[in-house]
Amino acid sequence: MTQLAQTTTGLVTDDIAVPRRRPVERTGFFGTRRATELISIVAGLALWELAARFAIHNTAFLAPPSLVAIRAWQMILDGTLAYNGWVSLQELIIGFVLGVAFGIAIGAAMVQWKPVNDALEVWISALYAAPIVALAPILIIWFGFGTSSKVAVVFIMVVFPMIISTQAGLESVDRRLLLVARSFCGSRWKTFRTVALPSAAPFIVSGMRQSVGRGLVGVVVGELFGAKAGLGNIITTASSVFDMPTLFVAVVTLALAGVLLTGILRSFELRLAAWRDVA
Amino acid sequence: MALIEFVDVGVCYRRRGGGETVALEQTSLTIAPGEFICIVGPSGCGKTTLLHCLDGLHSPTSGRILIDGREITGPGRDRAMVFQSASLMPWRTVVRNVTYGLELHGVPLREAIPRAQAMIELVGLAGFEDRHPGELSGGMQQRVNLARALVIGPDVILLDEPFAALDAQTRELMQTELLRVWDATKKTAVFITHQISEAVYLADRVVVMSARPGRVKAIVPVPIARPRPASARRDPQMYAIEAEVAALIDGAHAENVAV
Repeated sequence: MTQLAQTTTGLVTDDIAVPRRRPVERTGFFGTRRATELISIVAGLALWELAARFAIHNTAFLAPPSLVAIRAWQMILDGTLAYNGWVSLQELIIGFVLGVAFGIAIGAAMVQWKPVNDALEVWISALYAAPIVALAPILIIWFGFGTSSKVAVVFIMVVFPMIISTQAGLESVDRRLLLVARSFCGSRWKTFRTVALPSAAPFIVSGMRQSVGRGLVGVVVGELFGAKAGLGNIITTASSVFDMPTLFVAVVTLALAGVLLTGILRSFELRLAAWRDVA
Repeated sequence: MALIEFVDVGVCYRRRGGGETVALEQTSLTIAPGEFICIVGPSGCGKTTLLHCLDGLHSPTSGRILIDGREITGPGRDRAMVFQSASLMPWRTVVRNVTYGLELHGVPLREAIPRAQAMIELVGLAGFEDRHPGELSGGMQQRVNLARALVIGPDVILLDEPFAALDAQTRELMQTELLRVWDATKKTAVFITHQISEAVYLADRVVVMSARPGRVKAIVPVPIARPRPASARRDPQMYAIEAEVAALIDGAHAENVAV
């Protein structure tokens, strides 16, 4: 027993454990990246304001940010921004979730069964490379002016990159881990669930981060071609009457939504990939 | 009584440009229950192929491998492999890596975790249960690899050069640790290595293989008392057996050169 205890404690001195976490860099606010970013944003807005006030006087061409902010406040108060934003967000979420689910399923099927891969590969690489958003008018004709046509546009924007990132993730699996699963009598499904899918997870989440932007483009383009509500619809109606402040409110809202959604997925991605950093 | 029998086992690989490579030829070997067998030989002598066939990951082209009188047709719960690279799931903690085999066998987690816990203690990793493999040293990763194989309670444990990537000191420590764990569990062990001193220190019998085609050249018994502490390495009898094995391996090389 004492011998056992000795060898066990010997482990800690002979095998040096790697520290749990890397030290995090922390510095003051000024002179940091954040500070430079903030200064850049303020300077950009100031330039825009000056250009709109002194260079281009016609607000039918360019509205200064101060007017955009006032218009935004009005649209928040009267509920138009919330209502139209919610319409667009719903379209985005439904289309995105469907696109991600189908993308993962199709990508996985292509990696698991070679005939599926051989049959679909040529279509997917062609459609992924094509400016697929050009199909939006057709989808509007098929599905009408309501939510479903925009969901369809988002879906086709999201599904192809998701198929491709799922494939890439599943193909990156460490063959040695597949051998471990086989040695422990792992069935095909259990091997897929316990080895292939976790290995592919970081690829899938990074695919989601890249497709959320494409999905947003899908929503706007869909709404530009024909809609009853939504941020894209605000852009169309505002531009037809040269109402620049309203148009910019919609554009800025979309930009912020893109940054926010990408950021959420980015943090999710970093958390999932944490084991890769220490490994 | 024999637990494992290799009967005229041959393995051929089809080469990419046509033609065949004979990895193993007419290999016969009998292993008794509870025995510790080390297989040594030059690289390309088919020792990993032999081990993979025994695990059921690969089927022999000719001949049969029997375990307990039954022919091996695929991986089974009576055998467990300790892989050359630790091959741990980087996203699983130590304890969940150890439970992995049990999970694949359908053992519920509430039963698998206490069993894994006990095995983690046996291999000397108590306190590291919730770490991820990336936070462990190479030696510790191999302890997890060993625990993952032992926890399923196999009759036979197969080890494919598990300490090859470790530095010399960690390697010797791990060999002594392996013998301690093996003494505690009394499994039949088949251990592949290319290091002669490692083979002699661990084994009851050392199987020397020759290369191209791989076949059993000689079997050298190691009649040194167990348990063998680390100091047993300095035993003159150990040196004598090492010299004998080395001479056999040199002979195996010379034969290849002559051909």
